[in-house]
Amino acid sequence: MRYAILLLDAPYTSQAAHSALRFTRALLARGHDVEGVFFYHEGVHNAARLAAPPQDEPHLVDAWAELGRGHDVALQVCIAAALRRGLLDEQEASRHGKQGFSVEPPFELTGLGQLVDLGLRCDRLITFGP
Amino acid sequence: MLLHTLNRPPSSRVLDQALAGMGPEDRLLLIEDGVIGALPAQRERFAGVAGRLYALHEDLAARGLLTRCDDAVRVVDVEGFVALTETCERTVSWY
Repeated sequence: MRYAILLLDAPYTSQAAHSALRFTRALLARGHDVEGVFFYHEGVHNAARLAAPPQDEPHLVDAWAELGRGHDVALQVCIAAALRRGLLDEQEASRHGKQGFSVEPPFELTGLGQLVDLGLRCDRLITFGP
Repeated sequence: MLLHTLNRPPSSRVLDQALAGMGPEDRLLLIEDGVIGALPAQRERFAGVAGRLYALHEDLAARGLLTRCDDAVRVVDVEGFVALTETCERTVSWY
């Protein structure tokens, strides 16, 4: 089956990001296609490339990136939610005259329309809230 | 038939909303802090969904509640969670 995940909370804030990651891994292990993970509201913080958690804790940002690269899962970050929280890729940083950037591939800044598209295209959309 | 997930403890008003929003065949899966609802002391709160109540193994274990779970609650691991989303037409998340 084709699945999409919607994640609405930041890493290390609630259990949502851990739950979503565990569920996504289980989907892949059962042979499902995960077409995309959409990061919305506080969930956009999962794309923060500068995140540096203690080494004895799970690195959620790296874990998502690994899923994105290794399993061809699109990691879509709501651009409107991201920009207002200081999460900008290289292109947006340059456009807004900011030094440095905080989002990099495989995460991509996209519009909310992509979430609608995932919902229509996939057999299942599973939400992990705060 | 829909799957509902709940990540809040029984003390939360979200539980009432979830129960009110469920159809007669729908399943309820307790996850995260929601698994506190799987304790025998909470049986009455969940009487309306008897036989359709599930709790996530990993979240019970993380809270030391695995051996204290009510016998009437079906314990599923994350693979069982995936299986429930396969069987149910849609999933509604309450949080």
